[in-house]
Parts: sequence; C-alpha cells; structure tokens
Amino acid sequence: MSLDATYTRELPLVEGKTSFKEIDDVIAKPTETKPNIKWFIAIGISSTALLIGAVCLGLTFWYGVGLWGNNQPVGWAFDIINFVFWIGIGHAGTLISAILFLFRQKWRTGIARFAEGMTIFAVMTAGIFPAIHTGRPWLDGYLFPYPNQHSLWVNFTSPLLWDVFAVSTYFTVSFVFWFIGLIPDFATLRDRTTSGIKKAIYTALSLGWRGSNRHWQHYERVYLILAGLSTPLVLSVHTIVSFDFAVSVIPGWHTTIFPPYFVAGAIFSGFGMVSTVLIIVRKVFDMEHIITVNTLEKMNKILLATGTMVGYAYAMEFFIAWYSGNPIEQFTFINRAFGPYSWAYWIMFSCNVFFPQLFWFKKIRRNIPITFVLVLLVNVGMWFERYVIIVTSLTRDYLPSSWGMYFPTMYDFGILLGSFGMFFTLVLLFAKTMPVVAMSEIKAVTEGAQPTHKHKHE
Amino acid sequence: MIGKILKKFDDRFLKSEPRTGDLFAVAALFDTPDQIIHAAEKVSSSGYKKFDVLTPYPVHGMDDAMALKQSKIGWVALLAGMSGTSLAFLMIWWMVGVNYPNIFGGKPFFNLPASIPIMFELTVLISALTLVGSLIAIFMKLPNNANPIMDTEFVKRVTSDKFGIYIEAADAKFKLEEVRAMFEELGSFSVSNIHEAVYDLGDTKNPLLSNKFVGAIVVTSLVTVGITYFVLNVLLFLPPFDWMHYQPRVDPQTESKFFKDGFGMRRPVEGTVARGFMPYEFKGMPDSMVVATPNPLPVTQKVLDLGKKRFDTYCSPCHGYYGKGDSRLRGQFPVPPSLHSVKVTNWKDANIYHVITNGQNTMPSYASSISRDDRWAIIHYLRVLQRSQNALDSDLVGK
Amino acid sequence: MDYIKKQLPDSLTKTGGIMLVMGILILIMAFIFTPQRAFFDYLWIYLFMVSIAVGSLALVALEYLVGATWSTPFRRISEIFASMIPVLVILAIPLFFGIHDLFHWSHAEVVEHDAVLTAKSPYLNVEFFTARTFFCLLIWIMFFFLITRNSQKQDEDGDVKYTKRNITLSTIFAPLFIVTITIAAIDWAMSLEPHWFSTIFGVYYFAGTVIAALAATTFASVKLKEGGYLDSALGNDSFYSLGTLMFAFNIFWAYIAFSQFILIWYADLPEETFWLIHRWDGSWKFVSLSLLFFHFIIPFLILVGRNAKTNLQLLKVMAPWMLAAHALDLYWLIFPTLFVGNASFGWQELSFPLVVIGLSMVVFKMSANKKNLMAVKDPKMQAGLDFHL
Repeated sequence: MSLDATYTRELPLVEGKTSFKEIDDVIAKPTETKPNIKWFIAIGISSTALLIGAVCLGLTFWYGVGLWGNNQPVGWAFDIINFVFWIGIGHAGTLISAILFLFRQKWRTGIARFAEGMTIFAVMTAGIFPAIHTGRPWLDGYLFPYPNQHSLWVNFTSPLLWDVFAVSTYFTVSFVFWFIGLIPDFATLRDRTTSGIKKAIYTALSLGWRGSNRHWQHYERVYLILAGLSTPLVLSVHTIVSFDFAVSVIPGWHTTIFPPYFVAGAIFSGFGMVSTVLIIVRKVFDMEHIITVNTLEKMNKILLATGTMVGYAYAMEFFIAWYSGNPIEQFTFINRAFGPYSWAYWIMFSCNVFFPQLFWFKKIRRNIPITFVLVLLVNVGMWFERYVIIVTSLTRDYLPSSWGMYFPTMYDFGILLGSFGMFFTLVLLFAKTMPVVAMSEIKAVTEGAQPTHKHKHE
Repeated sequence: MIGKILKKFDDRFLKSEPRTGDLFAVAALFDTPDQIIHAAEKVSSSGYKKFDVLTPYPVHGMDDAMALKQSKIGWVALLAGMSGTSLAFLMIWWMVGVNYPNIFGGKPFFNLPASIPIMFELTVLISALTLVGSLIAIFMKLPNNANPIMDTEFVKRVTSDKFGIYIEAADAKFKLEEVRAMFEELGSFSVSNIHEAVYDLGDTKNPLLSNKFVGAIVVTSLVTVGITYFVLNVLLFLPPFDWMHYQPRVDPQTESKFFKDGFGMRRPVEGTVARGFMPYEFKGMPDSMVVATPNPLPVTQKVLDLGKKRFDTYCSPCHGYYGKGDSRLRGQFPVPPSLHSVKVTNWKDANIYHVITNGQNTMPSYASSISRDDRWAIIHYLRVLQRSQNALDSDLVGK
Repeated sequence: MDYIKKQLPDSLTKTGGIMLVMGILILIMAFIFTPQRAFFDYLWIYLFMVSIAVGSLALVALEYLVGATWSTPFRRISEIFASMIPVLVILAIPLFFGIHDLFHWSHAEVVEHDAVLTAKSPYLNVEFFTARTFFCLLIWIMFFFLITRNSQKQDEDGDVKYTKRNITLSTIFAPLFIVTITIAAIDWAMSLEPHWFSTIFGVYYFAGTVIAALAATTFASVKLKEGGYLDSALGNDSFYSLGTLMFAFNIFWAYIAFSQFILIWYADLPEETFWLIHRWDGSWKFVSLSLLFFHFIIPFLILVGRNAKTNLQLLKVMAPWMLAAHALDLYWLIFPTLFVGNASFGWQELSFPLVVIGLSMVVFKMSANKKNLMAVKDPKMQAGLDFHL
C-alpha cells in the first residue's frame, strides 16, 4: 500500500467491507464453538508450566525461600526480576487502551481489548512475586495500613510500600476499565447465545445493558476520563517500581533517569509481548483481517521508538557515570559491560537496542515471521535488562570484600516457568470465553458506521 | 447430571413466551446510522420525552439529535479525585506524623515528597472507582434486567447490527397508531409493539421473603464473616514453617553419644585464649609472688555502689554483709575468716584481687563469676567496710 | 477553505523593534557595569530562544512522525517560530566571549586543583564545548532548512512527495534532536555547576522546550485567528488538541521534575544534594516553590477541564503563562550559580522580557512576510480543518 493512500485518509481498520453481523460472527466464534486441537495443545503446555511453577512455589512455602539462589550479597534476584518484568508487560495494555485512545489512534481498536486483558493477567502474575518474596505470603495483609494489635503503621516512606499501593491501584483500575469496555460486548453475546448457562452468565455480566444512547452518552465520557486517569497511572506504576531501586544509594541503581527509563522499557517490553501473543492469536482464531498487518506495523514503529529511548537511557547512564567523576559509579558500569555478567549485558543490549533497529526498514516491519522473531528477542532482552540491573549492581557494590556471585537454583527457574504458564493459561482461557476484540468499538470505526449528517446540509 | 443442570438453565433463560402484559412501548428498527439520527431528531422535535435510541455502538451526533444535556459525570471524577488526595494526605499525616511517629532514613516523621506517590495512587483509585460506581448505579441505573425490552427480538438486533428507537406508552403524547405511522414513514423496516412481561410469583407475595433469597443472604453473610475471621484472626497470626527449630544439633546441658565422655558441651582445647582476653598472670601462684598493682578504678559513688552490689551477691553469703565472717551459711561450712583482720586490712589491693581471682583454701576462684572491674570495685567497697566497721570515736567529732 | 494571505501589521516590527533595542541597551549597560551578570542574562535569553525555536522544529517533526491531522493548520506557525534558528547561530557568538564568566570549568587554574573537574576535562573544555555547540546548531539549522523548504514548496503544487520527504527527514531528525537537546542541556545549563550531574537532565530540558514551543504556537494561533489571518473554518475544537498537549506536557514536565527531585532528596548524597540546597537557600526557596505552583499546580487546575481547552480566551492567557513559567524554570536552573544564597531580580534582568518578546515579534513578522500562515496545499489541510471532537 503506498503512502499516498495512508497519508490523505486513514487506512480502513477492518480489511474488506464487513457487515456488523460478520464482525460479531468472527469475534464471537471462539466463545461459541468448541476449541480446536491447537488450542488444547497450547493450554496443555501452558498449564503444565503453571503446574511446575506451582509445585516449586509449594516447596518454597514448605521449606522457605532458602530453596532459591538468593543469598548475600544478592538478596533480590529472580523474584524481583520477574516482578519488574511482568509489571512491565502489563504496561502495554493500558498504554494501548488509554494513551492511544487519548491520541485518537483508531488502529488501537483491533488490539485494545486483548492488550487490556494481557495487562490484567500480567499484573496478576507480577503480583505473585512481591507476595512470595516476603517468605511468609500469608502475612502480606500487614502490607496495608490495617489497624493491627501492634498499633504500628506501615512505613509510608518506603518505596516498597508505594509499590503495594501502585500495583493494587493499577490492577483495580485496569480491571474496571476492562470490564467497562466489556459490558456492551457481553450484551451482544447475551443476545446471540443459544445456551442457557452462557445466557445466565452473560446476563449477569452485562448488567442489563441495552445500548441505550442515554447510557452511551455517560459511558463515552467515563471511558475518556478513565483513559485520562489511567495514563498518569500507568506512568506512575513503573516509576514507583524504578524508585524501589533508584532511591537507594547502590551504584548503578541510584540515577535520576530511572523513572522515564523504566517506563519506556515497560512499554517496550509490553508491546513486545502483545505482538508476540497477537501474532499467534490472529492465526489461531482466523482474525487476520481484524488484527491487520497495518496494526502490527504500527506496533513495530512504537517498538522502534521505545527501544531507541531505552538505548538513550543506557547511553545516558554510561555517560553520566563517567561524567560524575565518581570512581564507584564508573566501575559499576564498566563491570556491567565487561565484568562477569557481561554476557547478560550484551544479550540485553543487542536484543533491546540493536535488533529493534531493523524496524527502520518497512519490509521488515511488515514481515510477520521476522517481526515474530524480533519481538521474542525483545521479551528476552527486557528480562535480561532487569537481570543486569539487579544482579550486577548487587554482586559488586562498594566493598570488594563483600562481593559475591549469584547462582539461581532449579526452583527459581521453575517459578519463572510457572509465571509464563500462568500468564498464557489465563490468556488462552480469556481468548476462549470472552470477546478478544471490542465488538462495539470496532463497529464504530468501520466504514459507513458513522452518520454523514447529509440531511443537515441539504 | 450436568445435562440436567444445563437443561434447567435452558428452561429458565431461553424460553420466551408471548408477553401478555400491558403495552410498554413501540419500537422501530433502522438500517443505517443516518436514518436513526434522522428518526431521533424527528421524535425529539415532535415533543416526545420518554423515548430512547438503542445502537450497537455510540453514534456521533446522537446527543444533539436526541436533545440530551451534556453529561455531568466529569464532576464526580473531579470531586472523588480531590477527596482521594485529601484522604491519602490525612491518612499518612495522621498515621506516621501523629499516631505513631517513627524515623525512617533520617527523614522527618511526616514528609510530603515521600507521601506524594501514595497520594497520587489513592487519587486515581478513589476517583476511578467512584466514577465507575456512579456511572453504573446512578447515571445508567444498572443492573436492570427487568426492563421489558430485554429479551425481545428488538434488543437482540440493536446489540448486534441494527439501530433502534422506541417510545414508551407512558409518554404523555403517546398514541399507538400515530407512533407506528411515524416510524414507518421514517423508513423503519420493522415496527413492533413491546409488552410488559407478567411473572408468576407463586404463593410468595413478597419476593424479599422467599426462602431462596433469605437463604442466599444468610449464606453470603456467613461466608463473609468466616473469611474475615480467618484472614484477620488466623492467617495474619500463622507461624512460619519453622524447620530451623528441628535441625540436628546438640543442646546445652544434654548428653551426646557422639563424644566418648558423653558430654554435649565441650571444653576448649588446652591453652585456648579467648579473643580480647588477657589471662591473669599470677594464676595458681602463691600470694607472695604477686607484684602489687594499684586498683585501676577511681573511688566514686558509682564504683562503690557497684562494689556493694557485687559484694552482697558473691561475697556476703560466706563473709557476711559486713565482712565479719558471720556467714548466713554458718555451720554448713568451715567458718570463713573475718575481713577485718590485720592481715586483710594491711593487704595491698592486689593481694585481695589475687585471692578473689585464684581462691584460697576452701574459697574457690571467682574468676569466671565476677568480671575484673567488678573485682576491683568489690575491693574498694571492702575498704569502705573495713573503715566503717572499725570506726574510732574520734571519727564522730563533727566538722 | 477560504484562507487568503494577509500581511501582518507593521506595528509588529515597530513595537518589537523598540522593545528589542531597549533590551539590547539594557544588556549593554549591564555588560559595562556587571559583566558577569550580563552574561548570565544573555545565557537565559539564549536558552529561552533555543526552547522556542528548536522546540517548534521538534514539534513540526513530531507532527509529521505521528501523522497527526489536527495539527496541519497550525504547522506553519510552528515553522515560523522555528525560523529563529538561523538567528541562534549569530546569537551564539557572544556566548563564547562569556565562557569564562559563565563556566567555572573553563578556568585552567581551577581545574588543576580539582580532581573531579580534572576527570571531566576531556568533556568540559573550551574547544570541545565550542565544537559541540556548533554541531548542535548545524543539525538544527540543517533540518530547519530541509523541512521548511519542503513545506514551502508544497504550498505551490500540493505534491504529496514533499510530505513523504518530510516524514523521512523527521524520522532522522527525531533521534538527532534528542541527542542535541541533551548536549545543549548538559553544556549550557548543567555544566554551570560542573560538579553536579543528573541523568534525567536532558529529558527535563526537553519537556520544557516542548511546552515553550506549544505555548508559543498556541498564543500566536489564537492571536492570528482573532485577527482573521487564518482560515475561518478553523474551529475551537482544533485548538483543543493544542491545549491538551500543553496540559499533557506540563504534567510530563512535573513528572520529570518530581522524579529528579525525589531521587536526589531521598538518597541524600552530598555530591548531588548541594544543587537542590542552592535552590532552597534564602529567597531561592520562594523561587522553587513558586516554580511548583506557577509552572505546574495552577496551570494544571485551570486546564484540567475539557471546556478549558476549547476556550480561546483562556488559552490566550494560559499560553503566555506557560511561556513565563518556562522562563522562570530557566531562571531557576541558571541563576543559583550566580546569586548564591539569595535570588535577585534587578534592572539587568529586564533585558530578558524585552529582548525575548521583541526579537520574537521581529523575527515572526519578517519570516511571515514571505510565507503563507497556513500550509495551504497540504493534502491533510482539509481534514485538519474539519477536525471535530
């Protein structure tokens, strides 16, 4: 497609002239038919991974966190790496549904619902890690300012507590945002279904929605305000996650660019994961003309932009470490790039900064298999980014006598695998039971969906 | 079993019988967004008040066509957000600034910069939840499945691919034939009458008293109470799995089969010197070999108090509170000598120290019980005893 | 579209010229009486002009990059503000005469006895500093000419190929802009306190430049619209996006500022904290607090509502407000190095508003004489004019 067409008018979001009825049919199909064998294989794999993770976690509860590789001086390791990784993944959903909504990027419509769902599942997965790394997750209730017998309040000066508020707020607001978006679609499913039990469920979930314009009026305004609220929220969450590190005085952690750098990285990794899942889903559920190549190309552009921002942050960190004239700071960064963990650093650097530069080429942006490989690399690279930040800074801090290496155990890997299992199991169940594309939104942006107001001009 | 349950659901939710109630509204379906905009303009300009337009997605310009006022829901978000900020501020300020002040990281008890993240989060949380809650419950008056247009063919089309409008029979201007004619003239392809549903309530007159409903309320409240009790009184007090208590180890004062002598507690290897500890140089030597060193402690009230305390604890059982040898254990032991003898009075401090440290005759060594400083303090106190117990009359002369 | 080119009134050049001359006179007086202070004033003026000019060019590039439709009617106005860039090259020359008055690190005898500055001397030395300045100016001026030339040419035949070229140019300019603006921020503002360092500083200044550019474009657009110089089809809804972006970038600025502040405040390392302490000493405390209220809290509360952003009368007030806030921000960045202990605003500082406003008016008028005020034949123009919320 030439640029001329894209320039003067927007590309149709739904390829081909599709009637509303057909949109409903395509999107509702997974919820109304028995899933195919591919779906069963996929959920078999993911739930096995989940089970392995659950067993490792159960053993951890039974014997204590000593089963993990965490030990002095690396007291934060896989648990926090995974937490930051999954929270980062969660950022794409809100970005797509809120920020792109505010920027009136209509191409988001085809993928927003899916990305929002992934946000919720990613935040759920992420939430496990801070809970378990306390060692006694059943006491986590004390993380909230609950008036307890010790008459002692939580430490409001601690960024870890800010995390508690940020992550729980983020989960709640994302969930509400998602549910609000789902109500009209639940109503559509309710009025389509031929099964009594589904009808009962969809009736309850759709709250008796009937598409009334007296409702749409408030609904649209609320959607806009929620988008407005979610936008700073999504930035604040990863900012606060970055505060966990940056308010300390550990070299390599304490640097002022951390907040925007973490946010850019989160968006980057989130888009990587959304692309990964979407490329699979559009194939499995035959939605190639709703989740189009144009959409994927736009996502690749965002990946390129955010990947470059992350590269800017890497460069800034290195430059200012040198510029600061602080030998400890300088050592930390040389150690990252050339020390015992240099392999992790270069994996991170190549996957996050180098390979995404291939997206400068339009051919590559529009090539699905290459895109798929690149977004997988982005996922790997962003996991390693957290590994590099957390492990290298902790293994070698101010005092050479307290240096040490970090070696993860099989339980660490098991729980990491389990987190992927949990995420993908939830994604697959979601794809089976709920409309993965916002039907009411996609109808609103098809050609001829909006009135021409011709009679006014006549 | 499952089939039976599913059947029950099908019967309850899918059966549709012809409605027999009063006329609720007249509804019309249209094909295109332009038609529905036109229809909405016509209906609202004709003076109907109780009408509604139903569309599968929001149609631009419909608010004007229906002559709706602008939504005021933005104010809810603003007010809730502002109360969220102030609530968070007050909460943090009271908890860490007033109720239980504590120093963290050298920052003031209550400090604004570190409170801003939570203030922000609670602003968003309270604003979003209030907004959505009020949207559903107040602005849209949902959930509402009892609306008569639910479960009709009409609503099934407008949630999918058609555009609908209906005028309620309760409208002041409503006249069945007029309305139908108007809809047909506007180009509707299907105009239908919607009737109220009549529900068979059975014997129960008040649905709030039905057994199922009351039972559900009771069960829900019991479950809630149970969960709350469990979380607040059990879960938060659950001890950790304390495997470290049960690791293989030898407790003090117990037998051990591992060692030949059967003692669990071991003696240090001969000649072991504890870190930072200088052994007593005259250990085991006769009194005459002691090289006198002066008492290192000053004579102060504090030292004397300490000396009295230690003397009363360790020395007085045998030597008596005044060092006169009037032991509380008299008769069970050889009578200990008085500390007011000429020998002891003339002894240098170092000699007394030597006796305490080394022991003498029946008296064992107190080296392990009384610290070095305490021994010197005891000696100071002993000198006080010696002076006070042997006071002369001349001492009584006033100054 | 019914746009017809009308010449801007000559009073613009006249008033602007008078203000400019007065401002320059004050500057010259300042050079005579308090040379160091004069150079700081000059740096303040210069950075503010960079913010508006380079920020406007970045705005144009950004709009090309994201393919925005609503911004097409305003694009030419941003381009006209960007035409200050060639002037910046000439304006840079006096700065080099002031290097020793402005920058502590430029004194060899000081650097010699300071281990930290010695370690930094490969970066902070006069030759490299000059080279970097010219590199930045070269990049800006090059892309300014390339992008505006294409935009100008499109006014004649409306060929889409110019847009395509500009999209490519903007893509190349975007990363270069980030690099150059970071260098500018570090060199001209951060290195005033050569011991201090902050990785976020480039982003902080970037946020400020975009706000300044948006505010300038908004103010000029509202004024021109009122004067009837723009297309009559341009409605209030089109201004909504300008207002929203200004509001959004203001929040972004506050976010960056807060991030920088809290991390330094919390870790409390002496090598960083002194910079904030300088801005809290004596009356600087009030400057810092007024920056918080003047730059963020008050504009936030005013612009938060939806109606505020379509209200042209309000935007006409808020746009200069934000420009003033950015000036205060730069004052807060630059002057604590000079006025240690207490903030000060004397007759020398009056040169700032006079030169900035005067120069902007003169350059705007001169640049606008030769151009259309709207990109008349841009293929997206009609869509931009038709924009409705």
